[in-house]
Amino acid sequence: MTIAPHDQTRGDSTPYIEDGLSASLSRNEVASLCMKAARGAGMSWGLAEEAGFAAAWLVQHGINGPSHLYAHLDQAQGRPWGDLCPTVSPGAWEAPAGRALCPIALGATLCDYAELPEGIKAGSSLEIGKVDHPVLLIPFLAVIAASNDLLIDIVWTGGMVSLGGRSDTLMHAAHALAGQQVPITLTARSGKPQVATPGKVPKISAEIIAALNTLAMRTTVPSSESSRAGAGSTTTDND
Amino acid sequence: MSQSAHDATSQTAPFRRPASEVMHLDRIGCSHPTRLSFLRSMLRRLHRENWKVDRPVWEVDATGSGHAVYRTRCGDRTYSLVAFAHDLPEDMRSDRVIATAWDATFTLFDGEPTQADIVRLRDNVPLQEAGRITTRELTLARANRSVRLFHHVVGALSQGLQPDPAEIADIGYLMRTTAVYGSGKFGAADRSEIADRPELAAPFQVEMLTVWLIRAFTVDIVEHMAVVKGGDRAVRLDRDLRRTLGVGNSTGLGMAPFIVRHPVLLNNWMIAREEALARVRAQSGATQPAVAGLRVALDAAIENARVWTSQHPLQVPKLAALRDDLRMLSDTVDTWDFGQPLPWDALWRWSVDVLSLEGQEALLSIMLEPHGDLVDDLADCMSADEAPSFRIDGAMCVRDLRTILKQNYSWALSIDFTTPENIARFWYVSEEKLEPRLGERATEEGATLEQPLCIARLVAELDETLQERDEDEPVAAVLLAHPEHRYVMRRVQIAQNHPFAEVQDNLISADMLPIDLLRCKLSFFGATRFDPRSDRWVRINLFQGAPFPDEIEQGYLP
Repeated sequence: MTIAPHDQTRGDSTPYIEDGLSASLSRNEVASLCMKAARGAGMSWGLAEEAGFAAAWLVQHGINGPSHLYAHLDQAQGRPWGDLCPTVSPGAWEAPAGRALCPIALGATLCDYAELPEGIKAGSSLEIGKVDHPVLLIPFLAVIAASNDLLIDIVWTGGMVSLGGRSDTLMHAAHALAGQQVPITLTARSGKPQVATPGKVPKISAEIIAALNTLAMRTTVPSSESSRAGAGSTTTDND
Repeated sequence: MSQSAHDATSQTAPFRRPASEVMHLDRIGCSHPTRLSFLRSMLRRLHRENWKVDRPVWEVDATGSGHAVYRTRCGDRTYSLVAFAHDLPEDMRSDRVIATAWDATFTLFDGEPTQADIVRLRDNVPLQEAGRITTRELTLARANRSVRLFHHVVGALSQGLQPDPAEIADIGYLMRTTAVYGSGKFGAADRSEIADRPELAAPFQVEMLTVWLIRAFTVDIVEHMAVVKGGDRAVRLDRDLRRTLGVGNSTGLGMAPFIVRHPVLLNNWMIAREEALARVRAQSGATQPAVAGLRVALDAAIENARVWTSQHPLQVPKLAALRDDLRMLSDTVDTWDFGQPLPWDALWRWSVDVLSLEGQEALLSIMLEPHGDLVDDLADCMSADEAPSFRIDGAMCVRDLRTILKQNYSWALSIDFTTPENIARFWYVSEEKLEPRLGERATEEGATLEQPLCIARLVAELDETLQERDEDEPVAAVLLAHPEHRYVMRRVQIAQNHPFAEVQDNLISADMLPIDLLRCKLSFFGATRFDPRSDRWVRINLFQGAPFPDEIEQGYLP
């Protein structure tokens, strides 16, 4: 489909953010756009909501969540669920042979298992296989840390970041984890994480918005005459 | 509102209607606005807190083009409606989201706009979806004239005459909004950024404030055009006549998915209203002022039903039933024994036996009306922080999940989704306009891109999966094997503590009427004159009979 530059008739203004421009999207827009894009890239509706949550959380904390999510979706789209999801057991989770885990599926599953023996526990480590774009794990780990009073470190060969909640450590973690595809280990100890403070809202580039929109458009249905006719009033509005 | 505010040990518990009685399309499609509706609670706050409203800017020319600013001050805060008036050719006027130009466009600015803000807004607000606003803006809206009434009123006022009250009663508004966007749309401030302000904590308060100020603008612009046309001969609109004008609204399918997508919010709206009814029914007696107040509210409802017109075959019989019901109710109330034990409950029980759903739901609204002291605090329980219910409890075992299904979703599990009529429709988003639409599965393409709005069917699919799983298994493991159930799993766990979270019907069946969903939501806004234009498109009126900004200080309240 084409988007005329001044088609004022669509329920979304992000298509109008044009080449070379960037925009501060509201968190609602980020969550909505990223959810649709994730769905368009093949995630289930419930996981797509998790993707929207993660991107909006990152934006709230000053990190360009949509850009990281797009980088992941671009790589992962089309891969079957079995190639993206972890095998779960206490102390060690694994990626499918030769594959990297989807950080959204992994993050959501870590949350699901947070109260179970297989999940992250204070005073222990959880080895996890290779993860795509682990920066996208941060929102999920922050939720677990806050609800279970944990201080969580992400460790990989050549690096380590601590998620204590402070804005500067968050930015450091995001920077260090951006674009990585590495096996990671999560270690946790008891402690009260600081409440992560909101960061400066990052501008999202027109290129990333357009790319996410392209994925999001895959969730939509081309119009037919009958659907157009049924959508509005059957009587005149000039009365 | 949490479950604890609705706990089973409370004195009102025996008087509460169960969700299985309330949450059906045919009943929510008969919803009436109540004193808990969002525009009513906003007006009460404005009045109670003595908000000051003025219009510091009016720069509109002889063609009716320009801008105006309406300033609302409450405590330390100011909210300003910036209105842009346009000279719109008739052939461009459409209420659809497909419209590209409007008679007027608006934004609610957080604070007082500078000249630079106005310039920025002028470059964006008139473009609506094709523009961008910022976190300084709280809403984006547009409105079209009622061509007939607008011309009639301008014509009369310009000649020094008042317009015909019958013409005004027939239409009820000078302009109707075709969209009022909030909550971070198009770059506006997110709901979460303003939800902690007491004056905006209740749902849709910025949207209601926007529409209320638009109403003032619609009268100012006709008076302005009357002066342009008639010069010194022109008069202002009579204040009593003015009060009978509301703001029209046209709305379609775009609004329908909202109450499905926000189960916690829907629960809180419903539970507050139901608790209000239960509190009134639970009273052991009736005071004289309450009985007198009931009569006043009933007479107002009778008058409202008299002037409420619709041509639509779906609404005509409902209106006839409502008028019959109100007549019967009026006769009954005249001779009702308010000295009997539990007189309100007895009246309610009488209505359930005798009245149609329209009449019963109207009586709910009428019975709340004289009981502000008893129920108005419930308006503070109608917002929702949805974030806490987003996380799934993965440790819950399959057995417990199935118990929730049995307790809360038996209505869904009893639907046979193998018959064509029960899966006749599918909800989708149109590529062309990004608006929600409803397709016919048998004849239209696109069902593979169905939106997850038929909760009943998703629940049935989940139930089928669960039958194959070990009862002691945690749901985390089910989700690992079945990521397709994550969306509905979240809802089922929400329903456990939010009994009114679901519309308990099949939303893709052949006979489903989307306007029932619309009426439910619009009644919580406070909408009146529900007038369907098709089974999925409706016009309503907001703020009809309510005070104007210059009347709020005089203590006039609807």
